[in-house]
Amino acid sequence: MSKNFLPSQYENDKKFSVQHNYLAEQFSDKDLILEKIREVVTQGDFTLGREVDKLEEAFAQLVGAKHAIGVGSGTDAIFLSLRALDLQPGDEVITTSFTFYATIGAIVTAGGKPVFCDIEDDFNISIAGLKKLITEKTKAIVPVHWSGRPCEMDEMIEISEEFGIPIIEDACHSILAEYHGKKTGTFGITGCFSFHPLKNLNVWGDGGIITTNSDEMNTKIRLLRNHGLTDRDHCEIFGYNSRLDTIQAVVANHLLGKIDAITNARIEHANYLDKGLNDVPGISIPERVNSLKEVFHIYSFMAENRDALAQFLRDNGIDAKIHYPIPMHLQPAALYLNYKKGDFPNAENAANRTLSLPVHEFVKPKDLDFMISKVKEFYDHGQH
Amino acid sequence: MVNIRVPFVNLAAAYKNDALAISKAIDEIGNSGQYILGPNVKNFEEEFAAYIGTKYAIGVANGSDALFLIMKALGIGPGDEVITQPNSFLASAWTIVATGATPVFCEVDETLGLDPEHLSKLITPRTKAVMPVHLTGNPARVDAIQALLVGTGIELIEDAAQAVGARFNGQRVGSFGIASMFSLHPLKNLGVIGDGGVITTNSDDMYATIIKLRNHGLIDRDHCEIWGYNSRLDELQAAVASIRLNKLDENTTRVRKIANKYSTELAGIVNLPKSYDRSEPVFHNYIVHTENRDALQSFLHGVGVETKTHYPIPIHLQECAESLGYKVGSFPICEYQSTNSISLPIYPELSDEQVEIVISEMKNFFKKAP
Repeated sequence: MSKNFLPSQYENDKKFSVQHNYLAEQFSDKDLILEKIREVVTQGDFTLGREVDKLEEAFAQLVGAKHAIGVGSGTDAIFLSLRALDLQPGDEVITTSFTFYATIGAIVTAGGKPVFCDIEDDFNISIAGLKKLITEKTKAIVPVHWSGRPCEMDEMIEISEEFGIPIIEDACHSILAEYHGKKTGTFGITGCFSFHPLKNLNVWGDGGIITTNSDEMNTKIRLLRNHGLTDRDHCEIFGYNSRLDTIQAVVANHLLGKIDAITNARIEHANYLDKGLNDVPGISIPERVNSLKEVFHIYSFMAENRDALAQFLRDNGIDAKIHYPIPMHLQPAALYLNYKKGDFPNAENAANRTLSLPVHEFVKPKDLDFMISKVKEFYDHGQH
Repeated sequence: MVNIRVPFVNLAAAYKNDALAISKAIDEIGNSGQYILGPNVKNFEEEFAAYIGTKYAIGVANGSDALFLIMKALGIGPGDEVITQPNSFLASAWTIVATGATPVFCEVDETLGLDPEHLSKLITPRTKAVMPVHLTGNPARVDAIQALLVGTGIELIEDAAQAVGARFNGQRVGSFGIASMFSLHPLKNLGVIGDGGVITTNSDDMYATIIKLRNHGLIDRDHCEIWGYNSRLDELQAAVASIRLNKLDENTTRVRKIANKYSTELAGIVNLPKSYDRSEPVFHNYIVHTENRDALQSFLHGVGVETKTHYPIPIHLQECAESLGYKVGSFPICEYQSTNSISLPIYPELSDEQVEIVISEMKNFFKKAP
């Protein structure tokens, strides 16, 4: 009956020897978490409980923001941020075309019209392009720190201040990433993080969190996430239902203690792949910049003959993925916005050539060597 | 501090009964590494559809999202009107606002359900759907409402958040409308250990649209057909829901027994819950009405019996509803009920002894009351 496509996807993923999905390994550490969950449920503390409070406090501190607000998902984090800005139908929201669907879904759900922008070589939104897209109707800018690499924030903030347009950071990939020593999620009026199971900091289901330094946004988003209720019996504004489950906060709190180690492992693995792949003809790795701390939620590069390379790697048990082969402006859902092929050459080029390899904390040194050798082998043999 | 002899809810007791099965399910999910839209959601959807008697069930993030997604799938938006009732939980109204449509409130009757006679006066060319609430698990007058909608093109959406298992005319609620919503919130008769919801429908089109909408509008990993939402029932919560669905009928039998006992013993001292003929309610709440409500409630709290009011301020009088233009007196029956209603503890884990405590303390109060 069910047409849920995800189960089959997971089945396929399991066939690889080097996988993107590391959740079974992560679960080996489950007993501490299960014990805590047992405590929470025997107290009947299921929604917006103490573990959520604890996480919000710890997360705000971790990122360096004044407030953090647990919500239902990363998508909802963006949606609620935009709703808190009182977006009206027809208002324009500028974002990158090279992102995950949720960025756009959240903008549209909030009543906004997505205005797409091309990217630069770092896969992030082009500041020059962004500036040209600002109109009287622009109500927000939603940059995505794609793959865990911070966007060019100084210049973006300059534009934001010049035109008085707030920035909502899609930081779903970029927990602990830093731009000039400052963490992503603290530049905009809000920062939006995802705890989806495959994120650097994950939970066992859907979850997300919003960071903000604004007391006003904090108050408003707290109302919006819980039916607009100021207490059990009083509703100040019509709201939504988007809460981080208490049991998911338990998982997040547990992994929060490990996020430095998780992040460092990813960075180390990425650096290793950088070295190994840098000189391979056919591969082009984004230039690394010292003033940026990238956290590599996705490790991706541009590859010539990408589809054949991806197939070759998969045939060799390596879960090479494409994030993502079709940019947002060319999705069937975007038809009504009247974009066409060629509108954003960089995003389209990236979609055609990008390839991602696993760099999570459970990837072993021999896996890294294996991936490097297989990529080399592919190009050594004249790209098959 | 008063020793609470009869708590209003006891989720810990419910969990204790299922703890082993739930631990095992969490283990299996963790080891599979699949927390989103996997086999547990699929199984629960199939079981739930079979239980309600619909072709499809679709797991979503919560009951509110279920209503929102149903309306979005029907294309409801700005300029449209959706009729619901003002004595429900807020989500019945804000989900309409969230689509961009306008909520239109309808007066209720003594069963707490939508009054079909008043409903008939509210229908306009802008009305796109009617959303009766099976409040407290007490079925709405589905037959009368359906009769009004025949040939109008106006869709019936059932808000069955509180009514899993209830029947009208021998048929389960949640199977009458174009689509229906159920909440799996921890306090519900079928509750999970976090937020969760489920949509039922017999419509192939609604099913196809909603499974896209709940998952970013994706038709596969790389193609997005409509900008969607993220509203998925977690695998973990789906596993808990399946475990508890197995016990639902047993639990319903128990709460009905408690309700019967209350009704037998409290007849004559308070206004008892009323249902239509051919209705089989499931008593998510057991609500009685008395003009001594506030005094009764504080008396009961003083003797360790927790009660609640569902809900002391109807939606049309909430601050959030100001722009809709209703005022005190707009819905006299609803307002009378909200001032005079009191919800007594009712859940399967409530012991016979606790039920007796509630009854005898109620009787004590009315003996003393002037």
